[in-house]
Amino acid sequence: MVGQYDENLLSDMLPLYYSKYFPVKIFCRWLSCGNSPYPLCNRELSFTLADDVYLRYISISDQKELQTQFQKKCPHKLDIGAVYFAKPSIARHDSVVLARELVFDIDLTDYDEVRTCCKEAKVCEKCWKFMVVACEIIDISLKADFGFQHVLWVFSGRRGIHCWISDYEARILDTPGRGAIADYLCLIMGGENQSKKVHLGNDNLHSSIRRALDVIDIYFEDILNEQEFIGSSDRLKAFLKLIPDDTLRNQVEKRLEKLPESSLERWKNFVAVYDSFSRENGYAMRKMKYLVEEIKIQYCYPRLDINVTKGFNHLLKSPFSIHPKTGKVSIVFKAQNAKNFKLDEVPTIHSLLDDSTAESVEHNNNMKSAVKHFQEFVFSLEKAEAMRRKTDASKNL
Amino acid sequence: MDFNIKRKSTKIVVTGSMVESYPHDLQMYKIPPIEHVTLQEFETLALERVTLLRSLATATTLKGLRAFSEEWKEYILSDLRNQGLKYYARLCEITRCGTTDADLQARRKDHIAHFILRLAYCRNEELRRWFIARELELFKMRFMTMSGEAIDVFFNLNNLSYTNISDEDKTSIITYLRESTPYQNIDNMKFYKVKFFDVLDLVKSRKVFLKDGFAYIPHKDFVSVLSAQFRKHLRQSLAVACQHLGEVEQDERLVCLLKGLHQSYSGNDYSNTKAMVPIESLDSLSIKSFPLCMRQLHEQLRLSHHLKHGGRLQYGLFLKGIGVTLEDSLRFWREEFTKIMDLEKFEKQYSYNVRYNYGKEGSKRNYSPFSCLRIINETVGPGDCHGCPYRHCDVNNLKNRLSGYGIDQQAVHEIIDITKKGHFQVACSKYFDIIHNLDIGLGINHPNQYFEESQKLSKGEIKVDVKREKVNVKIENVEDLEIDDFIE
Ligand code: SF4
Ligand SMILES: [Zn+2]
Repeated sequence: MVGQYDENLLSDMLPLYYSKYFPVKIFCRWLSCGNSPYPLCNRELSFTLADDVYLRYISISDQKELQTQFQKKCPHKLDIGAVYFAKPSIARHDSVVLARELVFDIDLTDYDEVRTCCKEAKVCEKCWKFMVVACEIIDISLKADFGFQHVLWVFSGRRGIHCWISDYEARILDTPGRGAIADYLCLIMGGENQSKKVHLGNDNLHSSIRRALDVIDIYFEDILNEQEFIGSSDRLKAFLKLIPDDTLRNQVEKRLEKLPESSLERWKNFVAVYDSFSRENGYAMRKMKYLVEEIKIQYCYPRLDINVTKGFNHLLKSPFSIHPKTGKVSIVFKAQNAKNFKLDEVPTIHSLLDDSTAESVEHNNNMKSAVKHFQEFVFSLEKAEAMRRKTDASKNL
Repeated sequence: MDFNIKRKSTKIVVTGSMVESYPHDLQMYKIPPIEHVTLQEFETLALERVTLLRSLATATTLKGLRAFSEEWKEYILSDLRNQGLKYYARLCEITRCGTTDADLQARRKDHIAHFILRLAYCRNEELRRWFIARELELFKMRFMTMSGEAIDVFFNLNNLSYTNISDEDKTSIITYLRESTPYQNIDNMKFYKVKFFDVLDLVKSRKVFLKDGFAYIPHKDFVSVLSAQFRKHLRQSLAVACQHLGEVEQDERLVCLLKGLHQSYSGNDYSNTKAMVPIESLDSLSIKSFPLCMRQLHEQLRLSHHLKHGGRLQYGLFLKGIGVTLEDSLRFWREEFTKIMDLEKFEKQYSYNVRYNYGKEGSKRNYSPFSCLRIINETVGPGDCHGCPYRHCDVNNLKNRLSGYGIDQQAVHEIIDITKKGHFQVACSKYFDIIHNLDIGLGINHPNQYFEESQKLSKGEIKVDVKREKVNVKIENVEDLEIDDFIE
């Protein structure tokens, strides 16, 4: 059980975790591949030690050195940075950044405006569904729209997910390129003082938005039921703020107030009022053509931390690093399995090392399959890299 | 091998035939100019292009016009004409491939000026970003005004060949093209397949259909492909230019000019000022803080109690810019003019002018004080004493004037020397230093800027240079913060 985890014991457990469980070999192969054609030591790693001592610009030249560093420094947390022009420990940050996986960071704290089950650091199976939707929408867009093939999904260790794209084109993408992809995927905009954060205009809906709505629709009623977006009168009030037209808003308010506090029921009524309103008020509808879609998106669409994606040299927590606050392993998972992802099935350092815990067997198995998935990912990346270098070489002949 | 290289490099000589060098209004600026340019032309071209770029920025930021809209373009064209930059107005209005002398001259200036500004704007990231953004707007605007025929020529000249996708391919994705391409009549358009990173602006705004890493665009969206290329090329060139700055800056006069250029872009057009300057202080200010052009106008007015139209405009707007209120201004002109005419005549003929300058008459525009560029390019006729004295006074007159102000002979000679080389603003900067007993070599581009810098000094505020450094330091800190802040 998670309750058994004690952060103070981390320093005692980590050496064993790093030597026995952390997939050092495959991890280095992944990084090497991502570094190509520059040597592994040009990659920046960073360690967070006990008491939040933070070491940047660490570099390793091989698997052996990484293991030595692990044992010597025993990092509570491991982050991965960019590939520099020279060894980052020498060159430091004035050196030029050459490459870096394209990364995404999605965190449930950004959903605090909409999720009602938990706040801040907390997370439960209910709000985890937001992550499932996010993962599925982003994954399909990266593959179908941008043609990326090496997309790695990683549990952040607490309440979010990370995505690493290792395709060559993604790794060498410049800042504007990263920014453009982030903006393409970002539909929710605006700060604390703006209620309605999604504006789709009145042209045709872009294919990628349609597809995202298809994904949302699979989960929407479920999430609506569990989150009770419009259950209480306070939430109803917040919901009404999303309707830009006074007349429609009043109609909706009148109808929904009288209904029992079931969000699903209220939602269906809202859609019905909206539909009849739109049939009668062609002109007023121009600015609300996609109101239903906009609200669905505001509730369920992925909320990206786009600064992480845009920045070339943001550090991001490494796969298989331990989350120091929860003890959970940042396991990798397949996007198509996101919906089966259970928070309490994530191995913790404790359940892995202590075979007397109830979850021990299950968690050890889950760890093994996560490592196996990681291996498969790296193998296919290595294959693609070899192919790329071959074609490049023949081009240069 | 050697032989080949030689043959190649002789081909690049731009000085050859103008028609060959400049076949098209729109350029990608791939090859730098290698002809000789006089220092004077160098400076003029540089300032004129800064004015052009500033006009673009003003249209979007100050005037809040939507980039590339009709009003936006309209504003820029009329601004260029007002500033006397007809050749830029010509290049921006319609992009074509004519071969008249005016065409060729305009393209030549465009070419050289672009490369001069690279030197001025490669210095730091902030400048580079501003420059790239403006040049890109300019490029896009000009691309958009191209006729179909000119587009074909442009593509040929730049070796851009693309083949459209087949009808079958198009049919298979037609639903998506209709959904995701923001144009009508998709069915009649030819579509082209390019990598998504070639059209980042379309990707960013979700205005293109993407599939497997490719973007499907109609012909008119090629402006995105080209501007992406243009941006990339320009960014690289600026990085290279930055590394070679040392070589260029062997020449001190260039250093002064190039550095001043970016200072010249302060975003301030001095049309709205918060300061208040009482007219009683104008006499002493004209000695301490006015540039020569304004000091001359002030003295002329006091002496003859009259100024001709050009002078009233130039000096009146300047006064408005330094903070003389409309009421004070009226009183000031009235007091002088009524010494040689009766009040009724003044009210009838001249007060209109003054109110006009403050946007109270006529088109009611809030006119901006003239910049050096504008003043230097003014036509100055008989009886006029406006304009820039370094440009519009003959050497003896200038010499006497400066000596008359009590400037020592050595310094007078220096100013005259610089002036003779056609370096008017540098001379102005020298004058500034002498009056303030300093040696900072400020880049002067606006009489009101001159005045403000002088006032800052007399009020004991920090020098501009110091300020600028501070800003840079701040930016660096922000970057550090960012890195540390987003560790997850
Ligand atoms: S350079 Fe400008 S400020 Fe100096 S004298 Fe000429 S116009 Fe006046
Ligand atoms: Zn929850």
